[in-house]
Amino acid sequence: MCVGLSAKVISVKDGVAIVDASGAKREVSAELLDDLEPGEYVMVHAGAAIAKITDDDKNETDKLNEEYLK
Amino acid sequence: MSTIEEARSYLENYDGPDFRIMEVCGTHTHEIFRQGIRRILSPKINLISGPGCPVCVTPVSFIDEAVFLALEKGCTITTFGDLVRVPGSKMSLAGARAKGAKIKVVYAPFDAVKIAQENPEEQVVFLSVGFETTTPSDVIAVKKAMNAGLKNFSILTANKTMPGAYEAMGKSCDAFLYPGHVHAITGTQICKDMCDKGVSGVIAGFTGSELLTALAVAVKKFGEGKPFFVNCYPRVVKDEGSPAAVAMVERFMEPCDAEWRGIGTIPMSGMQLRDEYAEFDARKKYSVPDLKPEYKTACRCGDVLQGKITPNQCPLFGKACNPDHPVGACMVSDEGACSAFYMYGGDL
Amino acid sequence: MSDVITLAHGSGGRKTSELIAELFKKNLGNEYFTADDAAVMPKPEGRIAMSTDGFIVSPWEFNGGNIGKLSICGTVNDLSCMGAKPLYLTCSYIVEEGFPVEDLEKIAQAMGETCRKAGVKIVAGDTKVAGKGQVDKVFITTAGVGVIADGVNLSGANAKPGDKIIVTGDVGRHGTCILLARDEYGIEADVKSDCAPLWDAVEAVLAVCPEMHVIRDATRGGVGTVLYEICDQSGVGIDINSEAVPVAPEVRGVTGMLGLEPLYLACEGTMVMFCPAEYADKVVEALKQTEHAKGAAVIGEVTAENKGRVVMTTSIGGKTYLPQPGNELLPRIC
Repeated sequence: MCVGLSAKVISVKDGVAIVDASGAKREVSAELLDDLEPGEYVMVHAGAAIAKITDDDKNETDKLNEEYLK
Repeated sequence: MSTIEEARSYLENYDGPDFRIMEVCGTHTHEIFRQGIRRILSPKINLISGPGCPVCVTPVSFIDEAVFLALEKGCTITTFGDLVRVPGSKMSLAGARAKGAKIKVVYAPFDAVKIAQENPEEQVVFLSVGFETTTPSDVIAVKKAMNAGLKNFSILTANKTMPGAYEAMGKSCDAFLYPGHVHAITGTQICKDMCDKGVSGVIAGFTGSELLTALAVAVKKFGEGKPFFVNCYPRVVKDEGSPAAVAMVERFMEPCDAEWRGIGTIPMSGMQLRDEYAEFDARKKYSVPDLKPEYKTACRCGDVLQGKITPNQCPLFGKACNPDHPVGACMVSDEGACSAFYMYGGDL
Repeated sequence: MSDVITLAHGSGGRKTSELIAELFKKNLGNEYFTADDAAVMPKPEGRIAMSTDGFIVSPWEFNGGNIGKLSICGTVNDLSCMGAKPLYLTCSYIVEEGFPVEDLEKIAQAMGETCRKAGVKIVAGDTKVAGKGQVDKVFITTAGVGVIADGVNLSGANAKPGDKIIVTGDVGRHGTCILLARDEYGIEADVKSDCAPLWDAVEAVLAVCPEMHVIRDATRGGVGTVLYEICDQSGVGIDINSEAVPVAPEVRGVTGMLGLEPLYLACEGTMVMFCPAEYADKVVEALKQTEHAKGAAVIGEVTAENKGRVVMTTSIGGKTYLPQPGNELLPRIC
């Protein structure tokens, strides 16, 4: 249900953020996240930043591998 | 070996007891097919495509309501692209468009508000579908329309929530592959509660490596024989979720009973606008009549959604029902189990 | 001359002559360009190929070109795909009443430039003006003739198991560029259409690999559609490596946002080539020396198995069918 795309926050103003995904820029709602700062990465869905992204998928899966699969 | 290779080899060579895991999220279904993950899995691991595509579970009557608003009331319908081809009992929105209805595809719900602002002579209705992930965006549109004082914008709601479906489906599988972006909003508590009730699951992300790793973790934990829950998508899903999003939805919407196509009514599994926002509720604004849908009986979407059969066991699959002429909704959405099965090949 | 095209410009009278002289002849003129009822040219040596194509792109102007450039590239590339050196084109315009003359001139200029680059000549043309609202600004149809060298035998039915499959550049640019130009989804990105005439690339390839089996232009429906067409025509299967398919980052970004697959988006200057495996490296090398195929890459090969299907090896080593293209491309959130 939920195509998400990770994108970098370029600017935030009045609850609206401009995000950049590999050069594709778009206005999205920033109302769902507190204290969003330029430079942070967010998951974008249906025109809203729904979550901050705090790591990349490689690090994340490497940690899971270490913890659960060894 | 890299993590991907390790997870792969684990899933390929698994030889423990049979394990049934249900991916609840349609985007997971789509990515699992697109990445060719089913063919990596050992025959002992059975992936079931659950009810998590909002398009698939949107009832026929919802499309009929939208067509009614477009053709009978002359409203401009704004919608996510996913809904355009979903068959109603008489026609889809694409069919209504061919009859002259104004149907506009938008990327974000608040783009529909812009359309209403720029076209004050038109009555704009946004088709508000989606689970916890999408509902906040839908609600933001209402908020923006309200702040702008718009009188020509409303939404037709068919929003749904997941917990009821988890309860309804819990017995169809050994574990859930929980939808990462739903839990980015709602947090992890509900999964922990499910675990306490004996229902297992892992929250998964959407890249190939995230899906493989989450599946491997689920299989491994299953082997330990106790109910389990692991958040395998911590880079996006925090324990507390997004309180701001939850509060935003709470302010504008309240739970209601909801019909899930193919499954039936699940109590309190839907969301509708609260009474004080009735002017933005298209159903109330236009007194949409209670439309009695005509069901196609041979279609077994319901059984597919509940994991009781695989798509190719439905008598219509690939014959009367295919992506060009979908009978059931599971065939129409790219995320539908039947469509994914048909397009990406269940038989390779 | 007036500022906008009027119905009189299409009447065949003085205004039409003016338009031909001041706008078309100036930009497109050559020794064969005719005011008579048909152009007369010397007969070329060898087999000829002939093709026609209509262009109705909206908006008519986009990042990297306009409908004029597109209408030349389309027919030049169709001829080139048969191994035919494009020689002569005709063009027919249907212009909406009220279309600015200045814009029509831009279109004619782009056509002239593209013809010179591609080494073809426009020998005859026609202009009709349709009433306001009867067409969307301007439609162009071009037809062309080219000549095929001895020994060259290209056809969509010629792919053989073992053949390597090459794309001449990154995929999905034109489709993405048009999507952005329509500005329906509020997305901004610097994506330039790949619209370009590719005869020089085909000529270079045929020089190193005269036994080339198939060349096809990946226009509407994109590379994915071409792959399925060739599977069908040649009665073979295809195996592609998803990681090897070149996609520009901006195209990846835009399609990622909208949930679209770049392999189904139109290209207007990108071809798919099928050649015997032993020539693959040479073909890619030759392509990289040409102006519009610097991003050429091998993306897969032809198989005897899975007839009629395109199998894709994914980034995690899974295998899946590339879905059959077909329906209207709609952005999805789910």
